[in-house]
Amino acid sequence: MRPLTLIRPQQLDQVRKRVADDPGQRVIRAGGLDLLDQMKEGLLSPQELVELRYVSDTHGLAMRGIQQQEDQRWAIGALVTLSQVANFDGLPPAAKALREAAGSAATPGIRNTATVGGNLLQRPRCWYFRRADLQCLKKGGKACLAVSGENKYHAILGGGPSFIVHPSTLAVALTALGGVARVVGDGGTRELPMAELFVGPKQDPLREHSLAAGEVITQLLLPALTREHHSAYEVAKEKHSHDWPLAEAAVSVQLQAGKIAAATVVLGHVAPVPWKAAGAEQVLVGQPPSAELFAQAAQAATTGANPLKHNAYKVPLSQGLVRKALHRACNIPLPE
Amino acid sequence: MADTSKQKLKLGFADNFKVVTLEIPKGEPRPWDADTELTVVGKPVVRRDGVAKVTGKATYTHDIRLPGMLHAAVLRSPYACCIVKELKLDAAAKSPGVGAVISLADVGERLLFAGQDVAAVAAATPEQARAALAAIVVTYEEQPHVVHTRQAMQPGAPLVHTTKVKARKTEGDEPGASRQATQKGNVRHTGSDAKKDVAKGLRAADVVHEAEYTTQVHTHSALETHSIVVRWDDAKHMTVWSSTQSIFSVRGEMADIFGLKPADVHVITEYLGGGFGAKFGASAPGSRLGFIAGTLAKQAKAPVSLLLDRHEEHVCTGNRPDSIQTVKLGAKKSGELTAIHVVAHGSAGIGTGAGVGRNAIGIYTRCPNIKVESADVYTNAGPGAAFRAPGHPQGAFALELGLDELAAKIGRDPLDIRIEHNVHPVRRHQFELGRKKIDWDQKRKRAAELLARKARVLRGVGVAASIWGDFGRKGAAAATVSVGRDGSIEVQNGVQDIGGGIVTVLAQIAAEVFRRPLETVTVKFGDSRYGASVGSGGSQTTSSVTPAVRAAAEKVKAQLAEVAAKELKVTVKDVSWDSDGTAHARKAKRSITFARLCQRMPGEATTATATRPGTYGHHPMKFMGGPLYQIAGVQFAEVAVDSWTGEVTVERVLAVHDCGRVMNPLTLRSQINGGVILGTSYALMEQRVMDRSSGLMLNPNLETYKIAGARDIPKIEVALTEVHTGANNTGAIGIGEPATIPTAAAIACAVFNATGAPVRSLPLTPDRVLQSLEVVPT
Repeated sequence: MRPLTLIRPQQLDQVRKRVADDPGQRVIRAGGLDLLDQMKEGLLSPQELVELRYVSDTHGLAMRGIQQQEDQRWAIGALVTLSQVANFDGLPPAAKALREAAGSAATPGIRNTATVGGNLLQRPRCWYFRRADLQCLKKGGKACLAVSGENKYHAILGGGPSFIVHPSTLAVALTALGGVARVVGDGGTRELPMAELFVGPKQDPLREHSLAAGEVITQLLLPALTREHHSAYEVAKEKHSHDWPLAEAAVSVQLQAGKIAAATVVLGHVAPVPWKAAGAEQVLVGQPPSAELFAQAAQAATTGANPLKHNAYKVPLSQGLVRKALHRACNIPLPE
Repeated sequence: MADTSKQKLKLGFADNFKVVTLEIPKGEPRPWDADTELTVVGKPVVRRDGVAKVTGKATYTHDIRLPGMLHAAVLRSPYACCIVKELKLDAAAKSPGVGAVISLADVGERLLFAGQDVAAVAAATPEQARAALAAIVVTYEEQPHVVHTRQAMQPGAPLVHTTKVKARKTEGDEPGASRQATQKGNVRHTGSDAKKDVAKGLRAADVVHEAEYTTQVHTHSALETHSIVVRWDDAKHMTVWSSTQSIFSVRGEMADIFGLKPADVHVITEYLGGGFGAKFGASAPGSRLGFIAGTLAKQAKAPVSLLLDRHEEHVCTGNRPDSIQTVKLGAKKSGELTAIHVVAHGSAGIGTGAGVGRNAIGIYTRCPNIKVESADVYTNAGPGAAFRAPGHPQGAFALELGLDELAAKIGRDPLDIRIEHNVHPVRRHQFELGRKKIDWDQKRKRAAELLARKARVLRGVGVAASIWGDFGRKGAAAATVSVGRDGSIEVQNGVQDIGGGIVTVLAQIAAEVFRRPLETVTVKFGDSRYGASVGSGGSQTTSSVTPAVRAAAEKVKAQLAEVAAKELKVTVKDVSWDSDGTAHARKAKRSITFARLCQRMPGEATTATATRPGTYGHHPMKFMGGPLYQIAGVQFAEVAVDSWTGEVTVERVLAVHDCGRVMNPLTLRSQINGGVILGTSYALMEQRVMDRSSGLMLNPNLETYKIAGARDIPKIEVALTEVHTGANNTGAIGIGEPATIPTAAAIACAVFNATGAPVRSLPLTPDRVLQSLEVVPT
């Protein structure tokens, strides 16, 4: 790590401008967790870190709060920590998947520092990407080294030319709940659905999000959720104290008159972006919830999977997680 | 010293005691036996260094700061195999803050693994040292490499070694376990252990089970990385602070390297943050740390601190080799075993020593025909090293899971088969005790029911055994005990406390002998000036050092008895001691308190030094036919397997261990807890991952090299089956290694019991479990 300067502007626009002027050397710091990892690994060596946490204008306030807006949507500040999300019981029960996801990531220590915005924008954990001495596709190299290498933790869906999996746990839950990012840029404020925030490798293997230098996520918005909405999040890990998921599933359903009126099923850590399992959603909609239906939906969730040499296990694993999440979201007890 | 006396001792365990006559060397105190009642030894005494450790007061090698001290950094080979074409140090030598630069490889030299030493620098700050490394000009020519064991065994695989290899030996290796070797390609056959004829045994079988079992490379990952600080006191004297599990091996190696007298090398290890077998000697198995720090310090004329980082720790400081084991078991329909045949290959990287331990040859010995063949396979990876019971956890896993699969084929209870084929009376007792405590029969029944109705969460229970020897060493430890005029007691021995709690136990021994309060005993340790001692390897520290301390303390006590006799005006024979160390005249009604007695001693202190004689007892069971006790242990594991996700949760481990005479149940249980945690972590997640194409380790950190955390650890129950073996005067034997041998095997057996499908590869990760359940698309 080389010496660097830390600066702490009080206006969001100062932060944005500072970084946009020299994005190669200046990097925004929020919680700083993935940033520090990348600096220690030699993937990044910025001259300047521009802190978000000292912004005290109206954006600063927005970035630190969780509140319901006048339009009934919930706004979660990008600087809110994962612990705060996990522990905030003011959110409607329908947003349970988000709180469960936030409470499952990393460790209590990390959750106390890691921010919602940082969680969404962190870089992949792929072990080829993370070794500065290996020139992989994501670092401008010719090929994704996982394809013929050690690919147990890589993508089974939507892969190619890069086979990373998206590392954000919150992104899975937010996608399932229909979350939207509020982004401040030169042209003012815009709202970006999750599907547009994340960029797959076919679009651009060098990045995972669509924000321009100097654009900042200030809030995440959850749509108005009614008492008909229910959600749940499930994850499988090799290690239960501090590990990255092998796979995750977040589901959100709307129950009306004993039937599933709408459903969103999203898989995490199986694709380069949070993966909407449209096949599962089609199976569910219009049907009364039941264990048999969930098993069918789970099968459909991995439609199109194209595993590499060492990661086909993610197919049944993701299916198992979808089933579990559907049982809990629809309040149908899991079989023993 | 052929002089011995015959002594009758009550030896045995549980309710199996008998009087055994042993030849005890003259001068040795009467050994404590089953009839000896002790008041401090065997009691739960809190470890002495606990508070210092948890408050950060304890000083580790990483904490040593000396005036003018420089910080070293090592340039390491970036390739799995390469030839050094150019190496220029000039620019680095001129870098800011640099005090010395040395090369560790020659131009033209072929480097054999990524992480091998190339050059080193010492500079005023760690940052300057790293910056100077970057200024070293070096070019390499990449060579073909092979990092996966199976691939290295293929004909035509790149040859790892082009010259003959000398096996590296440390005190961490199991005594008596090495043999002559022959080499072909990358495969080095290290011979076999055999009894009778396995081919005949297999022909005589009604049922044969044959399968391949594999285990992973496991790195030691001690919390404190390898570290050494060297200060030259003058041209012929050196002081070394080292994170080592063997102070005297560091002293010997530094003396050898720099041509010094061992007595002129002063080694200090007040605390160390773990070793597990990788911290013997001044060097790490794959990096010449002692040479580097000593040479830099000499050149720079300043003390030098060399602390490895986590990446270096993973790639060049040792590992538990992997294994590929073909197991063939034969049995009659009745369950009577006719043959055990194991053919094992394993890779210790560029090093040697990938065996599979004594489990197959030494535990189920009622099987008449047994053969274990083993071979090292060279790969371009950092060398292996002794790792807590070298070879045994690998061997236990393959053998015990194989036995369970065989039992399932025959339709017999695997615990019954184990008991029927084991002749160690203590181990048989442990199996029976565990069966009751874990409620084996009920748990097996429940496992079958859950499996039959295809439950989502399956449950199972499994069992496995350990074998180890009482390797307590003769003459290796010299302990000095001294009682001062003020009544204080001091024990001196240059042993390091690796964490087992030896310092606390030594204080207990002295307190017991003098019948004095523990707080009056000071123990000086962790320093070569306190007298020779053993390395913490082979589970031999307590059994080697406590008898020496007791012998020295008894000698001092005998001298004090003479003073007392004089004061009480009786003969020495008529002096008796009560529970607070007061001396009484047996017949007259006179006494003298310990404090008064000490004031009457002739000098300022009464001091004696003693060592431990050779092991003299091994009741009731020998180890591998030798004159040593065979240490027995069995562990039972209970698991839950989520059949939807393949996740294994180890809910409970019952560890039943034999431990000679228990010195301190608290520190003993801690060692067993540690063994079970290590074994659970090995069973469930730890695994070095090497990239075939680059030959680099992909997880040289503690993020993707996964080690069990608090939420992964089972409920651990420890049951102690104390044995009086007559091995030495305190009756201590080892536990460090036995405690980790059977854990992974028992967990794997429990998973098989739960799912009915064996997972024949460690670690038991969800991908493998799902594969075994045949739900993974191919």
